[in-house]
Amino acid sequence: MSGNVLFDIQGLKKNFGEVEVLKGIDLKIEKGEVVVVIGPSGSGKSTFIRCLNLLETPTDGKILFEGVDIMGKDTKANLHREKVGMVFQQFNLFNNLSVLDNITVSLKKVKKMPEAQAKEKALKLLDRVGLTDKADAYPSQLSGGQKQRIAIVRAMALDPDVMLFDEPTSALDPEMVGEVLKVIQELAEEGVTMVVVTHEMGFARKVGTRILFMDGGVIAEEGTPEQIFEHPQNERTQDFLSKVINVI
Amino acid sequence: MSTIADIFANYYQYFLRGTRTTIVVSLVTVFFGALIGCLIALLRLSKYKPLSGFAKLYITVIRGTPLLVQLYIVYYQLNFIHYPSGSFLGVELARVIPCIIALSINSGAYVAEVIRAGIQAVDFGQTEAALSCGMTYPQCMWNIVLPQAVKNILPAIGNEFVTMVKETSIIQYLGISDLMYNNGIVVTSTYNPLPCYYISALIYLTLNIVLGKGLNIFETRLKQSER
Repeated sequence: MSGNVLFDIQGLKKNFGEVEVLKGIDLKIEKGEVVVVIGPSGSGKSTFIRCLNLLETPTDGKILFEGVDIMGKDTKANLHREKVGMVFQQFNLFNNLSVLDNITVSLKKVKKMPEAQAKEKALKLLDRVGLTDKADAYPSQLSGGQKQRIAIVRAMALDPDVMLFDEPTSALDPEMVGEVLKVIQELAEEGVTMVVVTHEMGFARKVGTRILFMDGGVIAEEGTPEQIFEHPQNERTQDFLSKVINVI
Repeated sequence: MSTIADIFANYYQYFLRGTRTTIVVSLVTVFFGALIGCLIALLRLSKYKPLSGFAKLYITVIRGTPLLVQLYIVYYQLNFIHYPSGSFLGVELARVIPCIIALSINSGAYVAEVIRAGIQAVDFGQTEAALSCGMTYPQCMWNIVLPQAVKNILPAIGNEFVTMVKETSIIQYLGISDLMYNNGIVVTSTYNPLPCYYISALIYLTLNIVLGKGLNIFETRLKQSER
């Protein structure tokens, strides 16, 4: 087994009732990769990324994370999720907690970190995204862009081995997309392994080390940004890209 | 108007004695009803089918049968229990305990539904976010979901408490000397029912206004803690 493989996904399938959303996905993700998943809506992108931290329970197949079968009976989902940060389309900041507590709550409860140390770490993270002054604010008082930047550092606080982004900018007003993408890009440049589902093609191209094009529950095509965006081989990829790029 | 004042002046001891019993029974019932309600709500939300099935059955049966019938069933069904003798604040324990059991069981079903609705009204994204931060399900419930659910639950549960205070009037049928029981005594001694019922209505109204105000203060405090 290669020491660099983070996720080794084999024959991953997911059904919702009668509907087969994922029809067998095989993929290896290595440390340091920035895998960007693109594709039309309903193609299974979100379901796929949610399977990676077991927010969805796969119907069939195997997911090895750092060599351990995460669907195995001995694996505890919460211990797996500590190593896998997740950022949601709808931010999902904890509405009952201040910004600071949003970040410290899992440090204190999950990592059993002492209060003072957790606070120090949270403030450092907030400083990175320029939101130290919002430490005592509540989520309802923040803009979408601010919420998402905080959601990102909340996930980073646990020092995860990989970050998952599920359409992190899709619920944002256009003028706030940039500030969030900038944070994600900085993380990518630092070498954080990530899987990003996005509709921001410019971002995908710039930040991704590998692009997956999903359609109909399978990975229809994958390659470097240049291969996918300049010379797509698959007809469906060509069709999709022609619709989302240079629309006017 | 003067007859109301006259009757109250002459028979106030009866009304006050009854009111005391009503307050005691209400408070105890609200407490145990809330306790049972929490338990049933947890069972209802359980992923384990037999537990949630039991809770569903419990809620269906209790909501589908009259409180009076439940009261009699509990009273006769549990007659093998040797309740402590003696009395508390003028109420005979052996008779009031089955009443409190029946009322609490009844209240529990309604409280359970209020709590379940309050918990389910919290955006599921909150749960997903908490889980993806590595929290276990109990940690997520305790730190994230329940604090938010309380704000949905409180107004509705206030209604349930108010209802319970009124419904305790049913225990007169088991001869508990509550407000309505004493009301009956005064009616038979004065042969003038209408003023008596006005007095009792006013007393119930006062109790519930005070209870409502108390819950309001509590709610406002909760909201302030959020800012």
